[in-house]
Amino acid sequence: MLTALLFMLGLGATCGLMLSVASKVFYVYEDPRIAEVESFMAAANCAGCGYTGCSAAAVAVVAGEAPPSVCVVADAEAAANIAAVMGVDPGTAEPLLSYNTCTGGDRAADKYYYMGINSCQALATLYGGKHECPVGCLGLGDCVRACVFDALKIGPHGYPVVDEMKCVGCGACEKVCPKDIMEIKTMSQKLLHLNQYDDRIAPCQQTCPAEIDIPRYICQIKNGDYEGAVNTIRERNPLMLSCGRVCPHPCEDKCRRGIEDEAVSINQLKRFVADYEMNSGRHLPVSVAPSTGKKVAVIGGGPAGLSCAFFLRRLGHDVTIFDAMPKLGGMIRYGIPEYRLPKEVLAWETDGILNIGIEHKPNVMLGRDFDIGSLVASGYDAVFLGIGAWKDYTLGVEGENLGGCYTGIIFLTNFALWQQEDGARDRQPFVGNKCVVIGGGNTAIDCVRTLIRLGAEEVSIVYRRTRKEMPANEVEIVAAEHEGVKFTFLAAPTRVIGDEEGNVTGLEYLKMELGEPDASGRRRPVPIEGSETIMEIDMLITAIGQGPDVFFKDESKRLDKDLNLTRWDTIDCEDPVALQSSIPYIFTGGDSATGADLVVSAIGAGRRAARSIHLYITGEEITPPDKTLFTNNIPVSIFDSVEGIEKSARTKMPELPVEDRIKSFVEADLVISEEEALYESDRCLQCCLTCYNKDVA
Amino acid sequence: MAKTITQEFTKGLWKEIPPFRLVLGLCPVLGVTTTMENGIGMGLATTFVLLCSNILVSSLRNIIPPKVRIACFIIIIATFVIVVELVMQAYAYRLFLKLGLFIPLIVVNCIVLGRAEAFASKNGLLPSMADGLGIGIGFTLSLASLGAIREVLGTGTFYGASVFGPSFQPFTFMIQAPGAFVCLGLMLCIMNLFEN
Amino acid sequence: MSEMGYFSIIISTIFVNNILLAKFLGQCPFLGTSKKMETAVGMAMAVIFVLVLAGSITWVIYHLFLVPFDLVYLRTIAFILVIASLVQFVELFLKKSIPALYAGLGIFLPLITTNCAVLGACVINIDEELGFMKSLVSSFGFAVGFGVALILFAGVRERITLARVPKPLQDTSIGLVTAGIIALAFFSFKGMV
Repeated sequence: MLTALLFMLGLGATCGLMLSVASKVFYVYEDPRIAEVESFMAAANCAGCGYTGCSAAAVAVVAGEAPPSVCVVADAEAAANIAAVMGVDPGTAEPLLSYNTCTGGDRAADKYYYMGINSCQALATLYGGKHECPVGCLGLGDCVRACVFDALKIGPHGYPVVDEMKCVGCGACEKVCPKDIMEIKTMSQKLLHLNQYDDRIAPCQQTCPAEIDIPRYICQIKNGDYEGAVNTIRERNPLMLSCGRVCPHPCEDKCRRGIEDEAVSINQLKRFVADYEMNSGRHLPVSVAPSTGKKVAVIGGGPAGLSCAFFLRRLGHDVTIFDAMPKLGGMIRYGIPEYRLPKEVLAWETDGILNIGIEHKPNVMLGRDFDIGSLVASGYDAVFLGIGAWKDYTLGVEGENLGGCYTGIIFLTNFALWQQEDGARDRQPFVGNKCVVIGGGNTAIDCVRTLIRLGAEEVSIVYRRTRKEMPANEVEIVAAEHEGVKFTFLAAPTRVIGDEEGNVTGLEYLKMELGEPDASGRRRPVPIEGSETIMEIDMLITAIGQGPDVFFKDESKRLDKDLNLTRWDTIDCEDPVALQSSIPYIFTGGDSATGADLVVSAIGAGRRAARSIHLYITGEEITPPDKTLFTNNIPVSIFDSVEGIEKSARTKMPELPVEDRIKSFVEADLVISEEEALYESDRCLQCCLTCYNKDVA
Repeated sequence: MAKTITQEFTKGLWKEIPPFRLVLGLCPVLGVTTTMENGIGMGLATTFVLLCSNILVSSLRNIIPPKVRIACFIIIIATFVIVVELVMQAYAYRLFLKLGLFIPLIVVNCIVLGRAEAFASKNGLLPSMADGLGIGIGFTLSLASLGAIREVLGTGTFYGASVFGPSFQPFTFMIQAPGAFVCLGLMLCIMNLFEN
Repeated sequence: MSEMGYFSIIISTIFVNNILLAKFLGQCPFLGTSKKMETAVGMAMAVIFVLVLAGSITWVIYHLFLVPFDLVYLRTIAFILVIASLVQFVELFLKKSIPALYAGLGIFLPLITTNCAVLGACVINIDEELGFMKSLVSSFGFAVGFGVALILFAGVRERITLARVPKPLQDTSIGLVTAGIIALAFFSFKGMV
């Protein structure tokens, strides 16, 4: 008895002593969370979880490779404790969901006659793929068999369909898919994804600067799932009401139906579902990731800033928008006139964005009320500079500053401020009788159409090239023509003439003719010697282009001096996808990075900047992958001709009759009806990379 | 406590029955189930260790320092295993010889250590007893049923008594090693079928 | 087994009395770590390493302490204590001194603490009354047998993920049936020694 006790004591003491000495002598630093996580596991070392023992599982949990609930022996309470150590709340952590990224399915023609075993992996090993499409789904259902939760099935079109209610994001389908069709992602990961060269995406989605999944939302409209369509668009574009009204829809130019027939009216469909949500009177809930505790300042409440703030907030960061104007919207509020985008609609949209938990500080201007240094001092981890392009270029001719001469942005902004009664009633805009607007862009058209509505007798546009070269949207030009605007093409202003009181009385211009095409492909206008002509006018607006107003750079001395600008005063960022400025924590996007451009481009840039900021403040690599598509097209997806198309008329956009609309600022373009939306969505070919639904003859 | 003592007990009989639901502790399951008698013997021995270790771990749970708790659990379990070993040597020597190696190996049976860590170290005495007893009886039932199937098919007897008569050609495969794997695999499959 | 030569012991422990397929020891890691080839190889190596160490040290403990002091009944508790401490010591030692080896084997070591293959093999060696060298060889053989079976099994299991398995049979269930078929193959080694 005594020997037994002594032996056990001795053995225990020896083992204990040896181990405690060893743990000191052989001490190696290890993440303390590993030991903590391991202490909550059942310690049975049973390998039931697939890891080689409890400490290996703990290492995997701490490395983020295994979920807190990995231990098969421990109970839910232990999982909750482990989750607490890891700082993730098991209840509110973003769920992982499986997504199918190929909608080709049966439509992609077979390349091989395949007789092997019924397995994608086997097929991929043998032939590299059955279908003509190099990246498409093989449809033999390895993913379906891999799913132990019954959340996947091969749908009627031959590609896997995920039942989101059943999916737990285990990743089994992703692992077995030889073509990487199945992806397991959180919403945040989805929001961070940029179009890649090996993505299975239709030409319209490749072309859209905001990278909206167009075929998906059109399909949802077709199925009557309008809310689903809204959510799909909102994964890429938080300003769908505004975009649905003002976007010149570059996507429609690449529509495959447009090759043989009229393109699908994509933007009208977007506007239809956006208006559907607004008319329902309720903002659909937007998912937001658990808070990261990081703070980001967004300077500028325009489309780029709103988009960046929206996506940063959805990624879980705390965002504050600093805006110089009294209300949000930037150029789409103060530049785009009421009849194109009613302020009420815009207010509803910006409210929805602020509602997800974004702070808005109005009437504060960078360089006047605060500077970058003060933001850094207040603990912001990164800054998005979305200051837009608010400074008009000038003609550089004599008499430009006479009374009655305005620049486009100043005219439109003053008018918008006056119209919105933002404390500027006394600044009622001057409206002449014979008004001339110089320029051919959207700003110029906005000016003339506003002037007509304000009662100007004669309104004309002077443009130095021809109608064909006008950069404004075609619909806008047509509308201006309908509303009675005169156009003087091939005319280059040389002098503004004024009277003794300093008011404008005339515009002298030179007639031009078209010469050889220049670098941009447009034929360069060449002046005709001695063709000076004088137009009698009493109001002149110059709208020949805009650049960012970077006066703040001179005002604040300490930090902003390192911010590099290009020679067009835009903020210099080496990579147009990463959008990081010369100061690492400052990011930019939209007009302030590119000069005046489309709203939808600014929205896309806002999301790309949000991605870079997210990666920057979480300490990851910002550089986008090499395969990033950016605004390019995947060559294999661009066709010369499309087979199997039955012509069907494109839905006409309803608009107010000319007589009604030129008298007021009521919205001129109207929304299509539900029947029209269903008809139009049915015209969509549901394209994937190379395949599409042929019309049934 | 949301669960009653009864629930703690009954969960071991179906909801968490080892080794089907908790796929743990397979070595004795496969190794000793050549006859039903062996299965029951092994099951009872494991149940005894489970029950005793759960009682001791649960009563000592506030005294055992958390850092060395696994070592303490192993020692507690090993002590009871030695008790079982000695008792069987004295009173059931024939069974002891048949079970052989697997009696000392109860020490490293994941079920016993797993229950001590996952349940007994966090719960009071009565629930731990119920848990130990429930899981133990569930384990015994599994062993007995697997043993019965293998014995009936492999030797044509049920608990030693002949079932099919002398003309029966025993299906020897079942009492040998490969039969153990296949039989357990198919039983698991049947369990899964029932669940759906 | 005590009267066999070294070669016979190796053949016997690897093939005929394969610790996984004939002795039914170490089933938990057999099913747990056999889903991927990499894990299986790592586990096999770690078992070889630990089993040889454990085999020799338990032999020393048994013949130098337990037998002389007539404490044979404490065998189980003494062995498990020694093996657990040994594994932990080796883990600490490798982590500091040979990080390269630790990176390969380290994560598998703690799993072996409660692996009945290790304790089982040590107990078998004692029961068979082998001498020190023979028990060393036998431990090595058992460990290699474990590795061979585990790696073969992992190879088959990796292929099974490609196959169309009926729902109720999936995962562990088909794994066990597969193990049965492999065990049947190992059956043919019977009578070699």
